[in-house]
Amino acid sequence: MTATLPPPATPPPGGTATLPPATPTPASVPVAAPAPAAQRPDKRRVTVRPTVRFRSSRPDLLLCGAVLVAIMVVQGWNIGDYPALSDDEGTYLAQAWAVQQGEGLAHYTYWYDHPPLGWMQIAALTWIPSLIAPDTMVVATMRIAMLLVSAVSAVLVYVLARRLWLPRWAAGVAMALFGLSPLAVVLQREIFLDNLAVLWMLLAFCLAASPSRHLWHHFGAGLAAATAVLTKETMLVVLPALLVTMWRHSHHDTRKFAVTGAITGCALIGFSYPLFALLKGELWPGAGHVSLWDGITYQMSRPGSGFLLTEGTGSHGALDSWLYYDRVLPLGGLAGAALLLLTLRWSVTARALAGPALALAVLTAVALRPSGYLPAMYVIQALPFLALVLAGGAASVAHAVLRKGRQRPRLVPLRRTAAALLAATALVYVAPRWYEGDRTAMTADANAPYRAAARWLDTRVPDPANTRVLTDDALWLDLVHSGYEPGLGAIWFYKADLDPAVARTLPGGWRDVDYVVASPTVRRDARDLPTVRDALANSEPVAVFGEGEDRIEIRRTRGTDGAEAR
Amino acid sequence: MLVSVFVAAVSLALFWMAAFTLWWQMHAWRTPETLAATRFESPAGAEGLSFSLLVPARHEQAVLEHTIDRLLESGHRDFEILVIVGHDDPETAEVAERAAAREPERVRVITDTHETKNKPKALNTALPHCRGEVVGVFDAEDQVHPALLAHVDHAFTATGADVVQGGVQLINFHSSWYALRNCLEYFFWFRSRLHLHAAKGFIPLGGNTVFVRTEVLREVGGWDPDCLAEDCDLGVRLSSAGKKVVVAYDADMVTREETPGTLVSLLKQRTRWNQGFLQVYRKRDWRRLPTVGQRMLARHTLTTPFMQAFTGVIIPLNVAVALFLDVPVGVAFITFLPMITAMVTFVFEIVGLHDFGRQYGLRVRLAHYLKLIAGGPFYQLLLAGAAVRAVWREQRGRSEWELTSHVGAHLVREEATR
Repeated sequence: MTATLPPPATPPPGGTATLPPATPTPASVPVAAPAPAAQRPDKRRVTVRPTVRFRSSRPDLLLCGAVLVAIMVVQGWNIGDYPALSDDEGTYLAQAWAVQQGEGLAHYTYWYDHPPLGWMQIAALTWIPSLIAPDTMVVATMRIAMLLVSAVSAVLVYVLARRLWLPRWAAGVAMALFGLSPLAVVLQREIFLDNLAVLWMLLAFCLAASPSRHLWHHFGAGLAAATAVLTKETMLVVLPALLVTMWRHSHHDTRKFAVTGAITGCALIGFSYPLFALLKGELWPGAGHVSLWDGITYQMSRPGSGFLLTEGTGSHGALDSWLYYDRVLPLGGLAGAALLLLTLRWSVTARALAGPALALAVLTAVALRPSGYLPAMYVIQALPFLALVLAGGAASVAHAVLRKGRQRPRLVPLRRTAAALLAATALVYVAPRWYEGDRTAMTADANAPYRAAARWLDTRVPDPANTRVLTDDALWLDLVHSGYEPGLGAIWFYKADLDPAVARTLPGGWRDVDYVVASPTVRRDARDLPTVRDALANSEPVAVFGEGEDRIEIRRTRGTDGAEAR
Repeated sequence: MLVSVFVAAVSLALFWMAAFTLWWQMHAWRTPETLAATRFESPAGAEGLSFSLLVPARHEQAVLEHTIDRLLESGHRDFEILVIVGHDDPETAEVAERAAAREPERVRVITDTHETKNKPKALNTALPHCRGEVVGVFDAEDQVHPALLAHVDHAFTATGADVVQGGVQLINFHSSWYALRNCLEYFFWFRSRLHLHAAKGFIPLGGNTVFVRTEVLREVGGWDPDCLAEDCDLGVRLSSAGKKVVVAYDADMVTREETPGTLVSLLKQRTRWNQGFLQVYRKRDWRRLPTVGQRMLARHTLTTPFMQAFTGVIIPLNVAVALFLDVPVGVAFITFLPMITAMVTFVFEIVGLHDFGRQYGLRVRLAHYLKLIAGGPFYQLLLAGAAVRAVWREQRGRSEWELTSHVGAHLVREEATR
C-alpha cells in the first residue's frame, strides 16, 4: 500500500506534477537532424506524482499503528456485553454456522433475502475458532471476529485518506473518527453484513485511488466493489462515488481501459448472483420454490418506515438512536460534505474528497426518501465517508487558517494561535461526549438477561433434544449448542408463521410448542405472527430475566408439561 | 463426480491461460508510465549509425518503386537500400535496377538465385553485402515514415540495444469484418504485448521494421532458411543468446500495411505463422533462456495459437455443461471462469478499437463496434481452423516440406509480420 506525500493540504491540481519535458534545446540539435523529429514533443514523459510507500513511511506507520491500538482497545473491551445482542446478528451468525456445517446457505430454506456472500465471509472468519471450540459459535463470543474487520477497515480509512492527499494528521483524525466515535464503536462491534461491506468498499476506494494508477488496481477496485454489493446490496448506491474517485485518479491516456475494465469486472462479479440463482433454477418465481425475483420483490416492497425528519416514524427513531450515541460524526460529517460540495470549484481538498462527499450526498438522499425502509444499520455504510469528509473539512479549515492568503511573517503567531484555539475547542467539545459514550461501551453489561436465559434453557429443561422452543435469532445458536434440534427444535420464532416447511410441523399451532423465549424482538413482532401471538397468549412465564421493556421471559405454553407433554 | 472434476480442471486451466494472455495483452496500458515508455524517444543527439535496409521483393513491380521512393525520403544521412529480387523475376528486377541507376549511392540490387525461394533465403543472400552497422528489414509494399531511421538510430545509441523492433500496423479496418479483427490483433500485439516480451527478455520479432546490429546478425548466422516464421525464430534465438531487444511504437511512426485480401489468404497466412511457431517451439532454442519465467513465457507464447483454438471450442461446451448437466453449483461456477476472462478480453477489444481510431485519426462507427462483437466467434473459428490446419500440415511432416515452396509466393502478398 502506498500513500502520497505532498505538502499538507495543498495537493497539486488533479494530483499531478509535470516533469520538465526532455525536448532538446535548439542549440543541441545538430544541423543534420531531421526537422520533424526534433520538433516532436517527447511523449515518453508523463506527469508523475510524488509518492511514498506507505509501508516504508515510519511516521505514517507509527500514527496509524497508535490509532489502531486505541481502536482495538476501545472496541474490543467488553465487546460481548455491549450493545445488546441484535436479532440480525443472530441471523447472520446462524447462517454462517449452517455454511460451516455444510448445510447450504442457511439451516432454513435460503430465500434470497440477501446475497449470501456476507455470511459466507463470516463463516470463513469464524471457521478456525469454531473448529477448536464449537461452543464459541454464539453471537457474544464471535463478535471478536468483527474486531478484525474493524481493524482492517480502520487501516483502510487511513490509507484512503492519504491516497486522497489528506495530510498525515488529518488521516489520523479520519481513522480515529471512524473507529472511536461511540456510534461507530457500538455498530462496528455487531455482526452486521454492513461492516463487512464497508471493508470491501473501502478497499475498492483505496484501489481506485491507487497512486500507481495501475490498470489492474482499478480492475481490482471493480471486483472489490462487486464483493461489497454482494455482501450487502445497499452498497449499490455508493458505486457512482467510487466511479468519480476512479475517474479523478486515473490518467487521461489509460483511463478508458481502467474505467471500462473496472466496470466490466464489477458487473461480471455482480452477475454471479443471478447466475447462481439461474443454476439452481431459482431465478424466476415458480410453484414450490423460492426465487431471486421474489426476494428482490420482497425487499423493494418492504413497508416504509416513514420520513426521516417526521417525529414518531421508524426512520426518525433510527436517526434519534444514531444521534443518541454521537452527534459529532454524523452531523459534522454531513456539514463537512455540504461544505466540500459547495466549494468544489475553489478548494483542492474538496476536489480530492469529491468521491466520499458524493457518497454521503447519495446516502443522504436515499435516507430522505419519503416512504422508504430505513434499517438501523443504514448509517454503518456512511461512517467511513463521514469520517473522511469531516477530517478533510478540518484539514481545509486548518489550511485556510495557517496558509491561505499572503504569508506575512508577522501574522504567523496569530495564525498558529487561531489554529490552536480551533483545535482546542473541537477537543473540548468532543472529548467529554466521546469519553462518556465509549466508557459505557467498555463497561456496561446489556446482555446479562440473554446469558441468564441461555443458562436456564441449558440447565433447567430436562430433554432439550425433544423440546420445541420459539426463540429469536440471537439466542438460537446457544440453544443449538445446548442440544436443541437446529431448525425444528430451536425455532426462529417467525419461521413458525412464515416458512411453510416449519409451519407444516406445527399442525396444532401454539399447542405444538413447549417454550417461547419472549425477548423484546419477539414481543414486538408477534403482532403480525398469529402462531407466535397465540403462543405468547397461551403461556406462562417460568423465568424472567431483567426488567421493563428489555426483560426476557421464558414462557411455557399452557397444557403442556415441557418435553413430557409430547 | 468424475465429469465434475474433469470439467473443473479443464476450466481452471483455460482460465489460468486466458487470464495470463489478457494480462500480457494489456501490458502497455498498465500504468501511464508504462504507456509512455512504449514510445520512441525523440532523437536528441547526433546520428551515429549507418543502416543497410533490406527489401526482399517478388513479383512486386507494382508497389516496389513507391516503397523505394518513400525509403529514399528518409531524413537519415547514412543508409543504403538493398533490394533483393529473384533471378526468375525480371519485371521486379527491372524496377529495382531502375531505382539503382537513379540513386547509385543509395540503392543496390541483389539477385537471389535459390531454386526454391522464400523470404529468409532472400535475406541471407543479402546479408554478406550489407555495409551498414545495422540491418533493417522492410517488405516491398511497406509505407515507412521518413523520420523512422533517426528514431531507431537514437533508440540504438540511447539504450545500447542489439535489436530495435518498430511498430507495424494494419490500417484498413473498414475493409471487412475480419480485417477489423486482424487490425486489432496487430494493434494489441505491437502496441502492447511486444513491449512486455522485450521487457521480459523473450521476444518473437516481427517480419519487418525490425533492425538488428549487423555483427550480431552475422554472429547468429542470419535467418533460418527452413523456418516458416523466420522472424519469430530470429527473435527467439537472439533472446536466448541474451541480446537486448527494444520495442518502440508511435502511431505516426509505424509501418503501415494492409490485411490479406481474402479470407482464404488470411487463413493461409495464419496457418503459416502457426506452423512457424510450432517449428520454433520444436527447435527448442527457447530452452536456452536463462530463467524459468522466460521459458514459461516462451512455451506459453509459442503454443498460444493452439490453446486459443482449443479455448474457442471449449467455452461454449463448458457453459452447456454448467446449464444442462447436473453438476454441483460450485463446479458450474468454475466452468464460467474462462468465459468471464473471454468477456473481459472482449470489452478491452472494444475499448482498443476506440483507442485505435483515436491514435490513427480514423473514424470508427457504431457498425464497426457491432461487427467487432458479432465477428468475434467467427474469427475464433478461423483461428481454430488455422491452428488445426497448421498442426495437420506439420504432422504430415518433412516429406511434404518441398511442397511449401509456395512460401516464396508469400513474399508477394502474405507478408510475415510477427
